Amino acid sequence: MTRIDIERLTVSYGAAAVIDGLSVEIPAGCFFTLLGPSGCGKTTLLRTIAGFAQATGGVLRFDGADMTHVPAHERGIGMVFQDYALFPDKTVFDNVAYGLRARKIDKKTIATKVGAYLERVGMGAYAARYPAALSGGQRQRVALARALVVEPRVLLMDEPLSNLDAKLRIQIRESIADLQREVGITTVFVTHDQEEALAVSDRIALMNRGRIEQLGAPEEIYGRPLTAYVADFIGAANLIDVTLVEAANAQGQARVRLQDVELLVAANGQGVGNSTCIAARPEDLRLAEAEARAANGVRGVVERRRYLGNRVTYRVKLANGQPITVDEPGRSGGRREGQTVTVMFDPAATMLVAR
Amino acid sequence: MSRRAPTVWIVLSALALALLVVFLVWPLFNLLASSFATGKGTGQTGWARFFSDAKYLTAVGNTLILGVIVTASSTVIGVTLAYVTARFNFPLKALVAILPLTTLIVPEVIAAQTWLMLLGNNGIVTRSLGNYGIDLPSFYGWPGLIIVMTFIYYTYVYIGTLAAIKGFDAQLEEAAQSLGTSPGRSVLHVMIPVVMPAILASSLLVFTLVVGNFAVATLLGHKVLLLSVLTYITFNSEMGSDPIMQSTLASVSIFIVAVTLFVQRWVVGRKRHEITQGRGAAPTRLTGLRSALLAGAASLVVLISVLPLLTLVVGAFTLTRGPVMYWGQFSFASIERMLISAPDPLLNSLRFAATATAIGIGFSVIVSYLVVKKKNFLTPAIDYLAMLPLAISGTVLGIGLVITFNTGFLAMTGTASIIVAAYVIRRMPFGVRNASSTLYNIPSSIEEASISLGVPPVATFFKVVLPVMAPAIAAAAVITWTTTVAELSASVVVYSAGLETAPIQIFRLIDTGLTGRASAYGLALVVMIIAPIVVATRFFKIDLFQSR
Ligand SMILES: Nc1ncnc2c1ncn2[C@@H]1O[C@H](COP(=O)(O)OP(=O)(O)O)[C@@H](O)[C@H]1O
Ligand SMILES: [Mg+2]
Repeated sequence: MTRIDIERLTVSYGAAAVIDGLSVEIPAGCFFTLLGPSGCGKTTLLRTIAGFAQATGGVLRFDGADMTHVPAHERGIGMVFQDYALFPDKTVFDNVAYGLRARKIDKKTIATKVGAYLERVGMGAYAARYPAALSGGQRQRVALARALVVEPRVLLMDEPLSNLDAKLRIQIRESIADLQREVGITTVFVTHDQEEALAVSDRIALMNRGRIEQLGAPEEIYGRPLTAYVADFIGAANLIDVTLVEAANAQGQARVRLQDVELLVAANGQGVGNSTCIAARPEDLRLAEAEARAANGVRGVVERRRYLGNRVTYRVKLANGQPITVDEPGRSGGRREGQTVTVMFDPAATMLVAR
Repeated sequence: MSRRAPTVWIVLSALALALLVVFLVWPLFNLLASSFATGKGTGQTGWARFFSDAKYLTAVGNTLILGVIVTASSTVIGVTLAYVTARFNFPLKALVAILPLTTLIVPEVIAAQTWLMLLGNNGIVTRSLGNYGIDLPSFYGWPGLIIVMTFIYYTYVYIGTLAAIKGFDAQLEEAAQSLGTSPGRSVLHVMIPVVMPAILASSLLVFTLVVGNFAVATLLGHKVLLLSVLTYITFNSEMGSDPIMQSTLASVSIFIVAVTLFVQRWVVGRKRHEITQGRGAAPTRLTGLRSALLAGAASLVVLISVLPLLTLVVGAFTLTRGPVMYWGQFSFASIERMLISAPDPLLNSLRFAATATAIGIGFSVIVSYLVVKKKNFLTPAIDYLAMLPLAISGTVLGIGLVITFNTGFLAMTGTASIIVAAYVIRRMPFGVRNASSTLYNIPSSIEEASISLGVPPVATFFKVVLPVMAPAIAAAAVITWTTTVAELSASVVVYSAGLETAPIQIFRLIDTGLTGRASAYGLALVVMIIAPIVVATRFFKIDLFQSR
């Protein structure tokens, strides 16, 4: 198992820095996900770790050894690509055996190892086939076996599920996660799909314009977003501008003003004067009768109601025009459109975030 | 890329660029420079003489006129035939499918020769009609030039247009019709604009080929002065004494072709419509009179196209005495004589073309790989130079090579190497284009997959890229072979005694009127061309036209 250290890494194409002084430590054996919108530099970072893109500054280490300028083929990586990248003129067996043959391993060992890994990804019966005769999911399984059979130090995957349909995506995703845990290999996984990231990762680095915006376990990223960008990218969050009245108290709560009421929210580690924005997820909000003088509530009018079977989604407009989305569980959401209601904020689940 | 790997590619790029500069840029530079030199005897530059002597301007005028006429006639025949075969089913349609092969199989010099055997002063048709008191007008000059070139070059337009029509989504046309346009108008307004770039591109290609044509122009031109012929004559008769004029004429030819290619690029670049992927129109089955007419017309075109081949076979086995052919009396004499007493031209052709094909394909693959997959600061120049020979006729290239490598550290004149060099350079653009289009379709990810598995970049090229390219390389090799073995216009300029190739031998025999013996060599040449095609398509199932 290999630890990856990245220090002040910069990658530029021409004048523009695509990766901009990025530092991160990826623990040994970790399933580490680079998550972010298209164009934020995920692929570039992954390819720099692989050695296919050159760092223009900074250092990359595997277990402390400087890898920054080691050629890709000497890094001991395994790679899985979005387009599978199987060798079209070679059978499934020969594809998986390719890396072993390059290592001059004897035939018998190759046959045993290839067989074992094909079995592991559930492709044992397809050894003699050519890639063209496989479905997308099967191809990606073969690609996974090909990458793992050489027992690389790190496994790198660039959107390996993007070309698959929804159902397969979940199946292969689970296979990858299981296999990673079984083999215990340090894995860097690139995706733009937040659900995928939340489902399989030990740690997620949410990227924004060549930098890591927030790094943490899935629960932290989802439950404690530190910036409006993170809150917005993962899950749908209501981002509401407020005025800070009182910074964090002993319970870690801050007091903010929204229209004519004051709300208690989680200070979320934000410093004083740092933020005037709160994030609240629709499922963490509740609606109450307008008359109820409940604490931590703001009045608004139901503008739209959408019945979704297991829940009802409301759009409520506050007096200042700010729209807020509220998800209420249950099958019989009772508010009507046009009704005046109070939106109830949960102090623990409403976060002060940086804009 | 890693630190060490780029140096390999940069070194290769520098090497490729150096070769291109030495064998292409330098000769061209010499040509242009020499056209601006002042002659010792005349005290004038080539350009001063060019503009003061009506002979030269007439030749340019005639060349342009011929180019326009042949381009127009080839386009009419090629486009009509393409439209008809794409949209209608009629009896004998399968015959039309062999058309693309005829241009490949019948070298221009043989086409010119066989047309003369039919319609020349001593031609079969001329003679037999003469027996009935019907005198055909002379085939030499304009009629011969126009007819022969048209039937050589219309296939280029046919192939280009057919591909475009097949790719054109018939639904667009139906949409136009459903909006109330008549079928005829919808063809005019919807299909033509979409297919037009392909037609224009192939037409302009034909124009450049006519301007550069040497074999037909020399054998059939007679009193019609043409640029390529004049260039060759200037070179051949006054070699050493007047290299200035030959360089000037060569420069004019380069200029004409360069302008045409520039226009082509501009037109195609501006008018490229995104052709949405869709179903091609199902051909309409025709019946009755229309079907019979169409079948007749199409077969006539096909027949005329394969006529040279038939004439050639018959001619090779016909009894001859000197220039006289005894039609109807069969004999193996010409064949025997060729094989027993003078097989050298055939052996030379085999040797030179095989060497050139091997070098050319190897070079094309490497250059394409650099240009497509390993871009660096040198590759744009390489890419540009590799396409440059498209703008140079064989005659011009030959003269450039001769004046450059006559002496000096690379004295190749008089050796086989200069012929091979001419072959390689002339066919390089096709090889590079072919290999590039294949490489563009190979995702870089499979190379990266290989490298990630521990195989260094250069080994990856051999283990992963080359095997995937193999079928395309084989197809390109066959095409390169067929076109080099038939090459005449450059090799006739650069060859020296004892190094005659089959096309050169044919050309010389025709020039001295020995048609029967020329036919024997022609037949052997056609066999040398067809054999690899048959082997490739029959036994290896290679699609020769896959990446065209
Ligand atoms: N080879 C390249 N040359 C120039 N710009 C590039 C190159 N590769 C990527 N970029 C740019 O770098 C940015 C990040 O790209 P990428 O790493 O592919 O993003 P992601 O994988 O997150 O979508 C994009 O703006 C992209 O246009
Ligand atoms: Mg990407």
